[in-house]
Amino acid sequence: MSEPSISRPRRWDKPFSLEPGSEDEMTDTAVEILLGKPPFSEIDPAGFKRSLPLHDIIKNDARIIGFDDGDIVVRRGDWGNSAFFILSGNVRVGLERGKPTLPDEILGRHDNKVKTLWESFAQLWRNHSVPEVRKLDSVFSKSELKTRHAHNSTRIYLQEVSAVLDKYHTARLDAGHWFGELAALGRTSRVATVFSEGVSQLLEIRWQGIRDILRHDQNGKLKQYIEDAFRERALAAFLRTTPLFHDCQPELMQRIVDQVEFHTFGNYDSPKPFKDLIENQDHTTEGGEPVIIREGDYPSGIVMIRSGLARISQRHYNGRRTVGYLSPGQIFGLDEIRAEVQSLTPVGCSTQLSAIGHLNAVLVPTALVEELLKQNGSVGAADLHEVKTHVSDSGSNSVKINDDTLLSQLVDQNFVQGTSLMVIDLERCTRCDDCVRACSTAHDNNPRFIRHGPILNQYMVPNSCLHCVDPICMIECPTGAIFRDFAQGDIIINEQTCIGCAQCASNCPFDAIRMVDIRDSKGNIIVDSKTRSPLTQATKCDLCIDQKGGPACERACPHDALFRVDMQDAAQVGEAFSR
Amino acid sequence: MKHFWVQQRITFLVFTVISLLILAGCYLFSITLSKTSFASGTILLLCIFFLASYQLRKKISFLPLGSSAAWLRFHIFIGFLSFVVFALHSRLQIPNGLLEVILFLTYYIVFLSGIFGWFLSRTIPYRLLSRGEEVLFERIPMHRNKIHDRVKTLIFDDAQPEQGAALPDFYHKHLQEFFEGPRHQISHILHSERHLHQLKQKISALQPFLDEQEQVRLQQIAEQIQLKDDLDYQYIFQAIIKLWLFVHVPLTYSLIIFSLYHALAACAFASTSG
Repeated sequence: MSEPSISRPRRWDKPFSLEPGSEDEMTDTAVEILLGKPPFSEIDPAGFKRSLPLHDIIKNDARIIGFDDGDIVVRRGDWGNSAFFILSGNVRVGLERGKPTLPDEILGRHDNKVKTLWESFAQLWRNHSVPEVRKLDSVFSKSELKTRHAHNSTRIYLQEVSAVLDKYHTARLDAGHWFGELAALGRTSRVATVFSEGVSQLLEIRWQGIRDILRHDQNGKLKQYIEDAFRERALAAFLRTTPLFHDCQPELMQRIVDQVEFHTFGNYDSPKPFKDLIENQDHTTEGGEPVIIREGDYPSGIVMIRSGLARISQRHYNGRRTVGYLSPGQIFGLDEIRAEVQSLTPVGCSTQLSAIGHLNAVLVPTALVEELLKQNGSVGAADLHEVKTHVSDSGSNSVKINDDTLLSQLVDQNFVQGTSLMVIDLERCTRCDDCVRACSTAHDNNPRFIRHGPILNQYMVPNSCLHCVDPICMIECPTGAIFRDFAQGDIIINEQTCIGCAQCASNCPFDAIRMVDIRDSKGNIIVDSKTRSPLTQATKCDLCIDQKGGPACERACPHDALFRVDMQDAAQVGEAFSR
Repeated sequence: MKHFWVQQRITFLVFTVISLLILAGCYLFSITLSKTSFASGTILLLCIFFLASYQLRKKISFLPLGSSAAWLRFHIFIGFLSFVVFALHSRLQIPNGLLEVILFLTYYIVFLSGIFGWFLSRTIPYRLLSRGEEVLFERIPMHRNKIHDRVKTLIFDDAQPEQGAALPDFYHKHLQEFFEGPRHQISHILHSERHLHQLKQKISALQPFLDEQEQVRLQQIAEQIQLKDDLDYQYIFQAIIKLWLFVHVPLTYSLIIFSLYHALAACAFASTSG
């Protein structure tokens, strides 16, 4: 068997400035100029490791890009993988206050490229007979959007900026400002569209670069900046996602924004808390999880989850029983404060709230919540019930299912992270493996999951990607090969940039990512030219992103035994587990 | 669950209405002295083609052709409907020609194997969940060998020279055959644990004749016996649910071939058959 040789890719083999869309390669001179100006001049380079100096981070994980009038820099809803710093010119940020946001059509939003009917059908005979064949010379498909070519890249742009400014509410950001850092670091979608007003020059930094700077910057200025930015720009909008704050008066909202406290539990950068949780099943709420509000205590405010997950538990005999959990946007402590407002007697929490792994939460102080309830006129029993129903209807209440044991297992094993958790009901499954076969056909004869995994009551959770709400597999990826799909938010692995380092596979606590030896179209294993060892790449479930009907496994199950569930969606979870 | 029962009732109602319409149509057609065989035969052939197409649907599951579960529900519905049409077409009589007899038997085997498969798909999942660890069918032999190796290690590898031959004798007499392959399939199908009970009694009978160390080992062997028996239980039920398709699917293709031949012959001799 011949062995085509190829050099194993390494981190920074392809600097960010050499990726499509960049103007020029980042030079040492450009880096030196940047490091001499704020905010980079305020970062102490001495804190950085020798193997990972600040200079190299800026050189390889950052790029300078120019934008013309109307060029869209980031779009609302896209998943953030980088942050921006305005070097010159200014940009406009689309705001929602009272006016419609920029519509999808003018943002050039489009659906994912899916296989045509013929291409789908042709999989029956075009699929390779050998496993894990890669087209190494493949390039990204060209965009079919209405775009223009400028600054060495293709850009989506707004045709008449002045008309857009008149019609839609926007805010101006000048040179020296950051934007996009919250989405990039929070691994969330962009909350606003940003476009260039006139000609501007921006520094774009991959989130891996920002993460490294935050890790080693001993002054902590950038960290403080990010926290301040969240309070200033996103906190009000974040609070308004909860119905309780919908009708909040501007003056009170401003006071809430000023007085809200940020709390963080666990380590942002490390996947370890999740690993610990999975490996050490003895970690109950009493043992391993930091308690946010104790059972019996009167809450010092309502806790609103910003990122991560929280467990709601209750004393049961001599232990604790999980009765629900909270996902981002959900709140805890409202019932007790409301009861106190009604009876004027503090009522202790009947349940306890603790953080699962890493958690970011905001705490709205009790006094402000009481004021808000009074202002909303929700003090009467009937009104209070209305608020509660309103909160429940919007899915902002905690996630609960009838079976406490199952719920506890789902939380303990951290399956509540899944936005597309694959579950097989073993009381219906005939073990026919049609799901695995369908997955295999949809992925060039390489199934992307194994019908084997932990069994919780009658439900099996197979070793398949959960598409976690906070995908820790992405944390350590040095090249950004594992990323969120811009349109759907699904987690995808880019075969062109995966260097086979296995960081994602080792970080995944669910064993849902496999490392495979890759082959060329003739079936030969591709080997590294230096080490002579086979080249490996990471593979996992991609929710059949390029297939016409979505996940093939789900549709292939003859007995409706296999289903996917978004564990953040309270209504869906309740329905799925009570079929 | 309430939704499920409502759906079942609606399906039953629709089935009854369609069956009655077909019966009424054939009756009305027959009182005009027209031959109903062509009409019922055509409907039956269409039903068979549709039923067979489910296998194709399974092969192209990546196309947006509706869920396999919906197809299966419709497959079962049409399957039962085909029986009504078949009864009408054959007038519930055993035919006299050789081809017709083969066709008749093939249809019945396919139909009954379908019902059997439907029954299996609704009962076996519960039984698989009731005993043993969930193991992929293809990996069961590997697990069985591992258990067997563990037992042999317990009996032979760690045996001290001064120790007696009680455990090796017991192994050769009662355990070797049990561990070598899948055993007691019929008992498992009948949900009987008599064989396991008997083996445990033999273990209990041996226990007073062993020293302390041997008793510990025998206890560990007993645990392995339970694991192996659970594995056999999983094996037989997973095998049954896979094997019934080897009857149902090939015979469906045979049925199509015989039916087409029968249809061609019927058309060819239509003018002379009166």
